[in-house]
Amino acid sequence: DALLPAPQDISILSTNMKHFLTWSPVVVQGATVRYSVEFQGEYEREYANGSWIPISECSLTTATVCNLTEDISATVAYKLRVRAQLGATRSPWATSKGFFSRAMTSLTPPELRVVADGHHVLVELADMGPSFQFRVLYWRKGQESRVQQKVMKEVSSVVHLATMEAGAEYCVKAQAHVEAINRSSSFSPTQCVRAQGDTSVWLV
Amino acid sequence: SGELYCSLPNPRNVHFESINMKNVLHWSAPEGTGDGVLYKVKYAVYGVGKWIRKPECGNINRTWCDLSSETSDYEEQYYASVKAFLNGACSDWMETTRFNPLTDTKIAPPMVSVSSTDRSISIILTTPEKWKRSPEEESVSLLQVYPGLRYNVSVLNKKTKKRWLFSISNNTLVVPWLEPGTAYCVSAQIRVTTPRLDSGFSK
Amino acid sequence: GACRVSMSLAEIRAGFTAIKADIQSRDPIRTLSILSHPHSLHKVKSSDRCCIAHQLFTFYVDKVFKHCRTEDSFVNRKISSIANSFLSTRRKLGQCREQNNCTCGEESTEKFKQILANYEGLNVTSAAMKSLGELDILLDWMEKSR
Repeated sequence: DALLPAPQDISILSTNMKHFLTWSPVVVQGATVRYSVEFQGEYEREYANGSWIPISECSLTTATVCNLTEDISATVAYKLRVRAQLGATRSPWATSKGFFSRAMTSLTPPELRVVADGHHVLVELADMGPSFQFRVLYWRKGQESRVQQKVMKEVSSVVHLATMEAGAEYCVKAQAHVEAINRSSSFSPTQCVRAQGDTSVWLV
Repeated sequence: SGELYCSLPNPRNVHFESINMKNVLHWSAPEGTGDGVLYKVKYAVYGVGKWIRKPECGNINRTWCDLSSETSDYEEQYYASVKAFLNGACSDWMETTRFNPLTDTKIAPPMVSVSSTDRSISIILTTPEKWKRSPEEESVSLLQVYPGLRYNVSVLNKKTKKRWLFSISNNTLVVPWLEPGTAYCVSAQIRVTTPRLDSGFSK
Repeated sequence: GACRVSMSLAEIRAGFTAIKADIQSRDPIRTLSILSHPHSLHKVKSSDRCCIAHQLFTFYVDKVFKHCRTEDSFVNRKISSIANSFLSTRRKLGQCREQNNCTCGEESTEKFKQILANYEGLNVTSAAMKSLGELDILLDWMEKSR
């Protein structure tokens, strides 16, 4: 086994609660090297003799990336490892340095679209996944001290936010919140609309 | 009576169909058997040591049996089982998977009543009730069974075809400042987050 | 605060729902239950809930999950997900118990002893698989009593 080097440059990329393990390819001229990935949660370390659990979608794969999202589904410290395989020859395991917890994921502001329809302010939020809910702040322009808030889970639908006073201009911004890790993203850019039919385009 | 041979093919797909905790056992006739097959039904409370026959579903030729009364305690879980008989032969007892009324029922949409003025509509939602044995029995709203129950209300402007969604936790909603002389269609859905149960939208 | 475990319960519920049919089909014993008979969790006094919940999560972490390995990779991964969620949720329940000085009353301690007796009454693999198959009984009780 020692003839085949272990994969290098292992890293975990995690954005908006989607987690990926990546590594550099092991190059063997004229041959297709395959890789297998395993994970170990705090439970496996503390209560199951340090056992490792294979990720079937990333067993004997030629890819150098593995989607961990379904398996990293608790807020505990995980370890990941990957090894290369060529025929019957296997490399040593390469194990991620330190631990990974999904609480370390980076959170981006939500995609928010704000629409005025007559006297009504409506918002549409892009789906960021089942772990997310959204804190939507809105206020009448000029009355910044009287900000109101709604917590929403509905995505990909035009959701009624508020009824506006005639001719008034209302401003809206939103942040994503993940209760499972008790963290929030920064706010999306503020968008303002005026009663009677104003429409804004997607602002990312 | 003569010894019964359990060589008859088994009833198939024995399962509960449940709406608002009206829990009805359903099955399909054994393969290859024509008319004349009769069935017996029994049920058991999971964790309690005995199977109980359902007399009203003894020697029946239909392929369903209402076990709502026997499975009305939604803090329990249940199994049910069916056996087929034909011309002196019988099948094995065929069981359901474990049935949990709380998580395995389907929730019907809420009832929606709408009134309107020239520029607003008022919506009142009524949550369905849990199945009950008789009209005299005390009603239990599904709101009591699922404390986290919420509603999605859809309001469609028939002229512009724009649909707005309202997500509310109480059962009343007033939508002011609408376009006079415009038809709006309202429908509503029940959403329960844990356990995960959503009704369809009402008509 | 520490007692807010609703999101964890929803994740555990999702993981369990994915393997419920598989796990329950491995438990052929209809006439015995670990959690619901002879005592029902639903009869636990509200003052004891925080303490009993912490004890039950400890029971699952210490005794149940390690004996539930199967030949099915998907099921094993979901069990790992549930077990690790139990660990983080138990930590919260432990903090909740300390912050609120939860105590276990005599009656509830008796109920928990009965649960352990039910568990010890079966061989360990059957008992563990049965306990895992009864996770929805635990979740139903915890969500109802939130």
